Amino acid sequence: MDFLINWFSNVPQSAVSFALATLGLIICERSGVLNLGAEGFMLMGAMTGAGAVLAIGNPFFALLLAALSTGAMALLFGFLVITLRVNQVISGLTMVFFAQGFTTLVSTKMDWTNKAFTGVGKVNFGWLVDIPVIGKILFGQDVIVYLTVLIFAAAVFLFDSTEQGMRIKAVGENPEAADSAGVSVAINRYLAVVVGCMFVGLAGAYMSVVVAKIWVDGMTGGRGWIAIALVIFARWRFWTALLGAVLFGCVEALIPRIAAIGLQVPQYFMLMLPYVATLSVMAWSSLRRKSNGAPGALGKPFVREERS
Amino acid sequence: MRDIKLKSQRNLFQRFNLEMREHMPVAQQALVIACGLIVGLIFSALMLMVSGVSASDLLNEFIISIFTNSRNINAVLSFSAPLIIVGLAASIGFKARFWNIGIEGQVIFGAIGATVIANYDIGPDSTRIVLMALVAALFGMAWMILPLFLRLKLQVSEIISTLLLNYIAFNFLLHMLYGAWKDPVTSFPNSKIYDMSERLHKIATLDVSVSILISIVLVIVVTWILFFSRFGYAMKFVYANPSMAKAVGINFGIMLSVAALASGALAGLTGFTISAGIDSRLTQGFFVGYGFSGILIGFLARNNPLLVVFFSLMMAILMVAGQTLQVFYQIPFAMVQLIQATIVICVAASEFFIHHRIQVVS
Repeated sequence: MDFLINWFSNVPQSAVSFALATLGLIICERSGVLNLGAEGFMLMGAMTGAGAVLAIGNPFFALLLAALSTGAMALLFGFLVITLRVNQVISGLTMVFFAQGFTTLVSTKMDWTNKAFTGVGKVNFGWLVDIPVIGKILFGQDVIVYLTVLIFAAAVFLFDSTEQGMRIKAVGENPEAADSAGVSVAINRYLAVVVGCMFVGLAGAYMSVVVAKIWVDGMTGGRGWIAIALVIFARWRFWTALLGAVLFGCVEALIPRIAAIGLQVPQYFMLMLPYVATLSVMAWSSLRRKSNGAPGALGKPFVREERS
Repeated sequence: MRDIKLKSQRNLFQRFNLEMREHMPVAQQALVIACGLIVGLIFSALMLMVSGVSASDLLNEFIISIFTNSRNINAVLSFSAPLIIVGLAASIGFKARFWNIGIEGQVIFGAIGATVIANYDIGPDSTRIVLMALVAALFGMAWMILPLFLRLKLQVSEIISTLLLNYIAFNFLLHMLYGAWKDPVTSFPNSKIYDMSERLHKIATLDVSVSILISIVLVIVVTWILFFSRFGYAMKFVYANPSMAKAVGINFGIMLSVAALASGALAGLTGFTISAGIDSRLTQGFFVGYGFSGILIGFLARNNPLLVVFFSLMMAILMVAGQTLQVFYQIPFAMVQLIQATIVICVAASEFFIHHRIQVVS
């Protein structure tokens, strides 16, 4: 029982970074822009978040700064894929490589690497946390965990019930039709890419600022790629993505638990678990249905028939 | 309100009119790409100058000392051998529109394969190095089977599956290096040093490693396959238009499989040339940067094996200079990666001018 409580009370922390990254990717990809740069945007957020805490001190301000810096990087990505219509696969990969180089370089130069700091504490719910079993799981978390659920609700509302959400979905499904209806494909794609990537960056910053409370080179360790797989698993739907993120949170939180109870499993095989799980989930989700639910124009640059 | 906004936008865009360009002469394309490359290099130079390397030092480290110092020339050549092979690995996959992003994983498994042969002294001494190369290629290929199967049978994107396998391969490497293959002498996490018969030696008369010879042979073979064989001809169809390829009777699945497996095999060989040609053992970070460089070289070279050689040499110069910068100017090696990414961004951006024409409308 203790094992289960310890395990599940660590799940939300692991799940939040998956959840926010997946949410950001869905926002981005619903507008028709394939984003393979998730790992890079997460790294950018993680590094700037940690750097901001070390330089300024306030972790919430640091999270904001991390999101903003990732947004700036997303502008570069958007410029490449939306304005210059560069191949989206190449552009996304380049973002990863760019961020790997940039974050390592800047953090080494600024001496931010491997420096521990105090991050964000748990929310104090008073006696609620003492409720047996569920107390620690539900009321022993930091504020971002609860915010994440709100962010998901807001995103669902935005996409399903507002005009802006409709516009983004329209340019992602059928940009030609959206364009002839007077909806600017470029503006809406830029908006979706920048906002989406800011959430991906926030996911990275959550890892460094709140969970690890330290910046280490390449610390996102492939979570960006797992998030991309989760988008496919969730068929570009928000609530399913949250479910998938919790599932992967469970897998990730299990790894240190197994070691803690002294079960003899080779360490590095345990560390493979999330990636093996991702591969299995991808295989499984492609087995389920014929159509995968991807936005109609995903990965295709929009080229308007030019008129004089 | 809305009408006014639309009008003002229209005025702004009427000054510049974008036109799609159907075709641009190859020479002109090359010129555009070269301009992109130069812009990328200028940005890189600026970044280095911001990090505290003066302009004259840059000239010295990147050009003068590379081409005048024989030790540096040798270093560039020995770096370029694995880079050429890994560039070919990426190119041959891209030629079939197979995005092999997991080159790093195959490089790791190739080197693991070579180390199995070396560590357990399998086969006679005289031919062991050949066996190592073959097993490395085989292991690299084997690491490709799962993503290939997932792609062909379940339409799982190879981009993500190959990439995830990188992490699995890396953890497996650590498992071996921190466990069974730990150095028995120093107990550092690297395999025991290869015997002399298990290393790629220098060609005595030329003072360059055999691995550069291997890479040149592979360039010739891949060039022949892509440009002169029936297979390469069929591959052109697959690249240009997969449904058309099916219509003219080309088996898409087989073409894709061959390209993907060849890509894996070449990546495996890359691992072999690094571990047997440079490190003489299996280390935990030998593969770092090669996967990325391969993809980048393939992209820059537009999957052309001869251009792969050119861009590999460029990358090798960058890597050698990067090591000097690290030692003498305290600039982290990550700078090399940032420069590579900057160059790719600029070259990719320059392709815009190949496909579009901007006209100023009065």
